[in-house]
Amino acid sequence: MAPARIPRVGIGGPVGSGKTMLIEQIVPILSAEGYKTGIISNDVVSKEDAERMRRNLATDKGLLPEELVIGVATGGCPHTAVREDPSINLSVVEELESKYEFLDLILIESGGDNITTTFSPALADYFIYIIDVTGGDKYPRKRGLGIENCDLLVINKIDIAPYVGADLKIMQRDAKIVRNGKPTVFVNSKTGKGVNTVVSFIKKDVLFGSLPKLGK
Amino acid sequence: MSQISVMIFMDTNIDNEDISILQLSDSFFPTGLYATSNGLEALSQEKKLTSKDISKFITTYLKQVIGPSDCTALGNAYESCKKSDIKSLLNIDDSVYHMRLIEETRTASVRSGNQLLKCVISFSKNKKMLKEYQNAIINGKATGVYPVSFGVVTAALDIPKKKAGLIYLYGFTVSIVGAALRLGILQHIEGQKVIHDLGPVILQTVLENIDRPIVNIWQFAPRLDILLMKHEAMNSKMFIT
Repeated sequence: MAPARIPRVGIGGPVGSGKTMLIEQIVPILSAEGYKTGIISNDVVSKEDAERMRRNLATDKGLLPEELVIGVATGGCPHTAVREDPSINLSVVEELESKYEFLDLILIESGGDNITTTFSPALADYFIYIIDVTGGDKYPRKRGLGIENCDLLVINKIDIAPYVGADLKIMQRDAKIVRNGKPTVFVNSKTGKGVNTVVSFIKKDVLFGSLPKLGK
Repeated sequence: MSQISVMIFMDTNIDNEDISILQLSDSFFPTGLYATSNGLEALSQEKKLTSKDISKFITTYLKQVIGPSDCTALGNAYESCKKSDIKSLLNIDDSVYHMRLIEETRTASVRSGNQLLKCVISFSKNKKMLKEYQNAIINGKATGVYPVSFGVVTAALDIPKKKAGLIYLYGFTVSIVGAALRLGILQHIEGQKVIHDLGPVILQTVLENIDRPIVNIWQFAPRLDILLMKHEAMNSKMFIT
């Protein structure tokens, strides 16, 4: 019998927008509440992100076993790997579902890409797209599939907004318009500010308020 | 119905199997092969490569590995399916899996094979052997390694065996040329010339291997094996090995 499906959250965004750091903030919060998470990290060129998360979250903090952080190479095609042909990612997800039934959630980080990234619904049940303020406050207004279609838009690095001339109120207003009212959260992934709100959305919209599974 | 449509339906030389051939040979078909370079990325870091080098690289692969190993496995898996012989199919699966020496290559082949099977099961009308093979995988009796899965799905889709071999070797060739393009070794027109010029090698390799008995399966390319091991160990890379 095929194993039960574990809820999956896809996290996409441009290179350097803070995808990895957002995961490094989300996992400890979920872990403190008893939720067990597996991580798949799609890297464009190196294994750096997967190795960093493995070291920070598994080896140093012991929040999950090291084998639950899995790196996937994408042949230079980060959006293909999560949308047009998610075969390799789906295989890894299915392996996790088969070996680690106790997991409550699987986080899938896409490789850094452009604003047209979206996740195949076959791969991710919920899609978080993350941008940062350094592109200027015009970013949400310029649209793009990722910004418009994601379930939750996260705008990162709000602490440096004054230094790059980005007005967060303009970003909030434009995001609301282009996303037809779907939620946007402002965060500083470096300090964790705002990340609790991201976790609240995951618990409400992906885990549907369920308690952590029993088991390991 | 237009005149052209009538002509197409009246032409007995084309049928649904031709559509299946086009579908499986399209690089758009989702098996994840675009993410592998088969060691080319490691080789490209050792020395500057030309289009001639890419042709030689693919030719060596086809003649020393893909032909005698994968094509042979595909042909035998195809025949096992046509005879509904699950026992021999599982033996072929086991042999091919253990012939893949490099762990990352072995894992990638299993992942691609499983996804190929899952995809074709979703639309094939002839599901019996597809399901039997998939159940064997779920129960840990088979791996679903790519060339065997390919033989199973092409048999289910009634694609002629030799054409199944052609699709497989053509797909392998295109995946390496695609990797060469993304690595900046070839430009787009050179890539198409490489594929075109390798046509006779692909044809000959299929004819030499598709009917080879499974007991005579072989592969020998130690230099390629070493390249794959080097690639597997690389810290910074774009491709799965």
